Amino acid sequence: MKIDLTKLTIKEAHEGLKNGGFTSVELTRAFLDRIKEKNPEIKAYISITEDMALKQAERADEMIKKGEMSVLTGIPCAIKDNIMIKGIKCTAGSQFLENYIATYNATVIEKLEKLGAVFLGKTNMDEFAMGSSCESSAFFPTKNPRDLERVPGGSSGGSAAAVAADLCVYALGTDTGGSIRQPASFCGIVGMKPTYGAVSRYGIIAYASSLDQVGPLTKNVSDAEIVFEAIRGLDKMDSTSTDLKKKNDLNKLRIGVPKEYFTKGLDKEVERAVKNAIEIFKNQGAEIVEIDLSHSEYALACYYIIAPAEASANLARFDGLRYGKSLEDEEGEIKDVYFKNRTSGFGKEVKKRIMLGTYTLSSGYYDAYYKKALKVRTLIKDDFLKAFEKVDVVLGPTSPCLPWKIGEKSDDPLSMYLADIYTVSVNLAGLPGISIPCGSSNGLPIGMQLIGNVFEEEKLLAIASLFEKNYDNK
Amino acid sequence: MISEEEIRRIAKLSYLEIKDEEIDEMREKFSSILEYVKKLQELDVSSVLETANLSQSENVFREDIGEERDSEDLLKALPRRKDNYLEVKKILYNED
Repeated sequence: MKIDLTKLTIKEAHEGLKNGGFTSVELTRAFLDRIKEKNPEIKAYISITEDMALKQAERADEMIKKGEMSVLTGIPCAIKDNIMIKGIKCTAGSQFLENYIATYNATVIEKLEKLGAVFLGKTNMDEFAMGSSCESSAFFPTKNPRDLERVPGGSSGGSAAAVAADLCVYALGTDTGGSIRQPASFCGIVGMKPTYGAVSRYGIIAYASSLDQVGPLTKNVSDAEIVFEAIRGLDKMDSTSTDLKKKNDLNKLRIGVPKEYFTKGLDKEVERAVKNAIEIFKNQGAEIVEIDLSHSEYALACYYIIAPAEASANLARFDGLRYGKSLEDEEGEIKDVYFKNRTSGFGKEVKKRIMLGTYTLSSGYYDAYYKKALKVRTLIKDDFLKAFEKVDVVLGPTSPCLPWKIGEKSDDPLSMYLADIYTVSVNLAGLPGISIPCGSSNGLPIGMQLIGNVFEEEKLLAIASLFEKNYDNK
Repeated sequence: MISEEEIRRIAKLSYLEIKDEEIDEMREKFSSILEYVKKLQELDVSSVLETANLSQSENVFREDIGEERDSEDLLKALPRRKDNYLEVKKILYNED
């Protein structure tokens, strides 16, 4: 019986390539065919890089013949469109960059290329990574493969949808307030945000530099581990990156459950699925410990001051002079050019966040908002560090709600922001976090989030894997 | 609710234009987010240190030696190119 090549995990595809069951070119063509068939409906991809993919696949097949293969050689993946691949259009989901060609490779791309990876294309995202649903993409919304009327989550919605719909074996995304974990939860796949600094941000179009991290979206936990190991590491081009790794005692299994996470606002079905997950851990001999993350309720407010503030600085570079959308000549001076290009190039949500950031950083408001938020950030981080004295991981829902219908939350930005309440604190504290499927409600996926201590990805992934093995996904 | 004057001031600082018909919607949406983030005022943080960044690393230093690179890719992206220069509008003028 012919196997469906697009359904394989990284490990399975690697075995097939190694044993000569199929070539990387065959595997890549299978995905390109499936993308032609399914992507028009799902719209996971902004650009499909067919020529590059086939060239990379041929090169990978050479590497395999020579016996020089690694586990990621020849495996086709999708890359979020804020991660630069030299010579390929890179839009960050924005009209401002709709024709911008990246002039260098991000470090994560260099690393994957060296291993012989195959890039199928660039995936859709909320504009400049500001969003939780892919509805703020300047181009089109991506559909959730589990229910085409619903959002896939965001901002790495395109990457999540591509993995969930078998339009790639794995994908890279970025996560600033939950942008890998929440779409992974909404699409029923695995998504991981590493510890801040574990993966280089060089070549990533920045949103909020103290919060952004690149991470994998995959079909299972073991694939996430493979991709993470491939992209991590100290990079001299990113001075916030580091090689730090903690050696973990994998025999301990104390799961912290924050009492603050199970209050009103949490969907009953999500609560049911996550409580069931706790039972599964109990049956594996885990000690369940109730913990206090007493500043949880301030995390979202803290995030929505810090992230827009950093974004207002990061997006100041987009003036249309050296690259990007540049309107035709009109009367006026240089500053008029800035106003016209930025106003026409940025979408509503981006403009709102730039202005919010400008406001909270401006004279008269800086102390009351931004400086205060930096202090609250310390309180949130310390809550976690205190909890990790007693537990190995913290467990909770990834999102308080199920994937909503496209357009349903457009009029209420605050309600959309609330979808991130469990994920933002992880970025604020710089911790690693992973979302894994733990249930569903009428076919809509539900994800559980596990949060680890800094640089303890090994332990985090081991515990996530233990759950995955014992969770019946039928 | 935030005033029209304030919204226009912030837009100007951000180098963004807000059309007259967009002002009211922008004021409403902006105010609702500001109301929400004001929540942080409930906390007494007088004895708390700021977390400005999470970096575990030290500064990266290298020798001050340049690297030869081909600038054609960068020049190709210029919206208004003249030879190897970027053409821009007047930068010296009288402020009105």
